[in-house]
Amino acid sequence: MDNSVPLFDFAAVWSSRALLLEGFGIAMFCATAAIILAMIIGLFIALMRLSNSRILRAFAFVYTQLFRGVPLYVLVIWVYFGLAIVANINLPKIPAGIITLALLNSGYLSETFRSGILAVSVGQSEAGAAIGLTKRQIKRFIVLPQAFRIVLAPSGNQFVDAIKDTAILSIIGVPELMRMAQQQADLFYRPFEFYTTAGILYFIAVMGVTKLFTFIEKRMSRIGFTNSSQKLTNVGEYI
Amino acid sequence: MDKYDFSWRIIQENLPELINGLIITLQISVAGMAFALLFGLFFATLRFSQYRILNIVSNSIVQVGRSLPLFVLLFWIYYGLSLKFKINFTDFQAGALALGITGGAYMAEVFRGGITAIDKGQSDAAFAIGLNRMQTSRLIVLPQAIRIILPQTVNIYVGLLKGATIVSVIGVADMIYVAQYVSLETFRPFELYSFAGVVFIALTLSVASFAWLLERQLSGKSRRG
Repeated sequence: MDNSVPLFDFAAVWSSRALLLEGFGIAMFCATAAIILAMIIGLFIALMRLSNSRILRAFAFVYTQLFRGVPLYVLVIWVYFGLAIVANINLPKIPAGIITLALLNSGYLSETFRSGILAVSVGQSEAGAAIGLTKRQIKRFIVLPQAFRIVLAPSGNQFVDAIKDTAILSIIGVPELMRMAQQQADLFYRPFEFYTTAGILYFIAVMGVTKLFTFIEKRMSRIGFTNSSQKLTNVGEYI
Repeated sequence: MDKYDFSWRIIQENLPELINGLIITLQISVAGMAFALLFGLFFATLRFSQYRILNIVSNSIVQVGRSLPLFVLLFWIYYGLSLKFKINFTDFQAGALALGITGGAYMAEVFRGGITAIDKGQSDAAFAIGLNRMQTSRLIVLPQAIRIILPQTVNIYVGLLKGATIVSVIGVADMIYVAQYVSLETFRPFELYSFAGVVFIALTLSVASFAWLLERQLSGKSRRG
């Protein structure tokens, strides 16, 4: 190894800190926007899967299977390049990235929501019906608020995955953390330092979100909101 | 932009190459899974060790492995590590290793979850009838844990299979890579990427439904699916 060049040189990373932090901000923005969208879509799909209409159920089933099966790399290329070719829809990079992540995560979240809704005891809906609530009111005031608390932890995991997945958006040129790290690594010819730094930043983001959700969950269980026996376990489905 | 004329013949013409790409995807995902099982078993074992320091170390490694995006790991290993320490991984090795680290971190959790899910009474009973630690693990705990571990392992493999689609960014000649360079020659990106996408979806869905079947089969009727 050349003696004139230090083995580790993080000075270049420090000099590009503004760009890296900007990328970090964009990554977090994409993940947050995508997960909010995904929760809205996912809730609708989950309700469709539990509805009485066979067509809605079939549609929701195909939707979840499709978006749980498609690799993110393929999906992002379809949304960004494919839509432009086929439908002449030219999305800007960041919205294309957010839509892609939202579609992908809505597939997973709808399954989580569905099992969350099913995990609320039938007695709850029956009690609701007994005091004269309509079906709609039972869903809105009895089942969904309880299901929300059950799905909180798995949704946190999904958020973590969305943060990790933003790295792949660099393929279509979204100027997020990984993209910035790649550019700067090429510029300074210091890939090890830049990718290590990027990794540390992702780690901090993931730990932060994990801690945040654990905190919220603890708070809710302290005031009697969550029932730990109803918690869903979902290790392994997400990478 | 002019209207795009679809020409699906391009798939047929390049089918052998695309299939070669698919085989490479399968190879790299299997190699990654082999690493993942190895890492996972190793770190799960450390977490059950009686030395606290080993628990803490393996716990932190698993946490880090789970927090790093595969994409970052891939670049870190292929460009970062290789260049810094002159290791010179081939693209395939780097891809398999990155998949293995990510998968291993998840597998460690799966192994741990499977083992802790077994009621403590089972091993107490085994000790009571005079089995030693080794025998208890091998004869009592592991056979029961397998039922929990196996379906989740297949799910992890599905994740790795999906993850394996991004290895083309470091130049592994997988199906996406083939789609990419054929489309550079033929200007047919949509058809080629769509074909690759559909094949991947079919592949992941079939492995995932296998996991689902396995889970139903192994869990019996006592648990709600």
